[in-house]
Amino acid sequence: MNSASILKFFISFYIVLFFAYLFGPLIVMSITAFNSAGFPRLSPWDCFSTEWFGVLVNDARMMAGFKNSLIIGISVVLVSVPIGLAGALLLAQLSNRVRQVYYTLTISTILVPGVVLGISTLIFWDRMGMMFDVDYESFFYDGIFLTIIGQSTFISAYTMLVFMSRLQRFDPVLEEAALDLGATNVQTFRKILLPFLKPAIGSAAVLAFLASFENYNTTVFTIVSESTLTTVLASKVRYGINPSISALAVIIITLTLCGAFVHEILKRREQAKELALKKEEKTVSVKSASRGLLSNPVPMMVLLIFVAGLTTAWMARGYDVQQCKIEVSEEKRKHQAELSKIRRVEMEKKLEAQKTDTASPSTVTTKKAAPGTNQYGNIFAPTNLEGQVESEETNPVTKKNTENQYQNIFAPTNLEGQIKSENE
Amino acid sequence: MILWFKKFFLRNGIVLSLYMLLMTFTWIVVMFVLPQVFMFDFSFRFNWTQIDPSKIGGPEDVYTLQHYKFLLFGSPNNPDPFNVVDVTVFGRTILAAVFVTLFDVILCYPVAYYLAQVAKGGITRLMMLSLIIPFWINELLRAFAFRILFGEEGTINNVLLYLGILDQPIDYVRENIALYAGLGYAYILLMIFPIYNAVESLDRNQIEAARDLGSPWWRIHWRVVIPFAKPGITSGCTMVFMLSAGALALPQIIGGPSSLWFTQIIYQWFNTGSNWPRGSAYAMSLLVICVIFVLLIMKVFKVKFGEIGR
Repeated sequence: MNSASILKFFISFYIVLFFAYLFGPLIVMSITAFNSAGFPRLSPWDCFSTEWFGVLVNDARMMAGFKNSLIIGISVVLVSVPIGLAGALLLAQLSNRVRQVYYTLTISTILVPGVVLGISTLIFWDRMGMMFDVDYESFFYDGIFLTIIGQSTFISAYTMLVFMSRLQRFDPVLEEAALDLGATNVQTFRKILLPFLKPAIGSAAVLAFLASFENYNTTVFTIVSESTLTTVLASKVRYGINPSISALAVIIITLTLCGAFVHEILKRREQAKELALKKEEKTVSVKSASRGLLSNPVPMMVLLIFVAGLTTAWMARGYDVQQCKIEVSEEKRKHQAELSKIRRVEMEKKLEAQKTDTASPSTVTTKKAAPGTNQYGNIFAPTNLEGQVESEETNPVTKKNTENQYQNIFAPTNLEGQIKSENE
Repeated sequence: MILWFKKFFLRNGIVLSLYMLLMTFTWIVVMFVLPQVFMFDFSFRFNWTQIDPSKIGGPEDVYTLQHYKFLLFGSPNNPDPFNVVDVTVFGRTILAAVFVTLFDVILCYPVAYYLAQVAKGGITRLMMLSLIIPFWINELLRAFAFRILFGEEGTINNVLLYLGILDQPIDYVRENIALYAGLGYAYILLMIFPIYNAVESLDRNQIEAARDLGSPWWRIHWRVVIPFAKPGITSGCTMVFMLSAGALALPQIIGGPSSLWFTQIIYQWFNTGSNWPRGSAYAMSLLVICVIFVLLIMKVFKVKFGEIGR
């Protein structure tokens, strides 16, 4: 084995580790959604159950937040896609020096911490509201409106970047040809540029929606008294967690995978089309179509997940969650009982050992006890096993002797009593 | 200027020109610059909304430096020479953000290089997609996932205990390990893509040439690839640094109880503290210090701001 192949091995190992770091947390979280235990955990595993999805759906606060998130997400798409498009188109026409300043400004919207954006939006509209002397019912103080504006500030920069990369591939000759043939500017824009930008509009919209949906830093300030899914989630996660949040994660991860799948298919189709147009070879599209599923790892992945889901569903047919839960709690009780049994046996063994020790003067306790009378031996007397208090009361010597009482605390009999009460 | 507008309108027609100009004006000026200016202004005002709302706009509504003073020196009867809590939190936030950034560079550079220069067609596509997918999952859910992993009875502790590597659980949250892992995780994509873009445009022949001339692999990276990818690395670092210094959700959820993040203090002034001007003064300080820090780093590494985000 030479050094190159060792290096190669290390690199592959590193890549695998990296992706484990990337996906491990998500996978673990998804699995915890199906554990019936009240705390999201992988081990100990209680029962396979889908009850947490029910808990999630019945959570009114979460659902209200979800509705607001949807409204905000769609509005952000409607605001930020036109802005991003305008921004990208304008950028292409600016002179070099102005473009630098302009680009720096637009990118700053991404770099400025979301917290700062949220605060500044909140303050700006608050001051504006004061200036125009509007009442608190107006949209100047409306959490949803403020959130849409605040989020659009930086999401527009995202969409602009998407449009910029698409515009780089645009052939301006097309536009000029249309203008030469007598089309108006608006017509050219609608018939030439927009169709060319259609895929970019799609990805920009998806990106904008996702960015809005998952945003927290800006939203938490601008939302005021309303709530979105993320703010509800945040308060939930901070104060006591349960696996219904994992259930939500499962849903979102599944949707994301489906989205990625659709996106990949569309992209491939588009590429195949472009390729076919370029080379004007019919064989290309036929080839890519016939290679189909197997050559593409992403659909394979989704298919695998789907199959896995189906098999679990099939396996779960004759499966009763309640039954399992009862079994698990039964098992736990048994386990507990066994544990205490073992402990008791151990205790008894120790007791035996100590009993024999009391006879010999070698142990510490007996040494301490040695100066006194043999009443000290009473600590370990079998009567104590039954009821300590009783024996203390009935034994006048122990009552008098405080030192003796303290020793009683550490006596094995105490533990014995505890175990007994546990067993009952 | 006027000439440019004339040309612009002539080229695009009135409708499109107005669309472009109005949209970008609304975005950059109304939505971004003006709010920052208002926040800056607001941070120099007294907290009249809480003390006495009727005085807003009155003769007593003057500018003050008290909030910035508070950040530096604390309340007037503070025995310490400066505001120990807030200043240390500030410093620690910046330091931790630097640490997270370095962690991400070291973690992401090999992957980005592998994607750009080593991996081929289909695998690159798949890896790209799998990089993006975690980025689409809600930030809070990712934080939640790290809480499950790093909890005291979390998966990692359980596995390590089971394997016998540990004999008692570690409290990762208290040690801030969970927070750093979570922050590093959150911004992987923002680090990989700029580096990937930079490395991808590197001509393979340069690497081959260096290799043919007998350079070991680490020197190829040090002398050829890294200098070439410097703009990409810097822009990735800038984004990761700014975002982790401004992170709020992750510190709130998986931050240790003893270590506040500066954004959490800002949040407190806005929510429980009900002192918006002070909160904006704090936010302004965070913004300014972060920007200065980034510009300094760029100066040191001789990268221009315009190269970021491409």
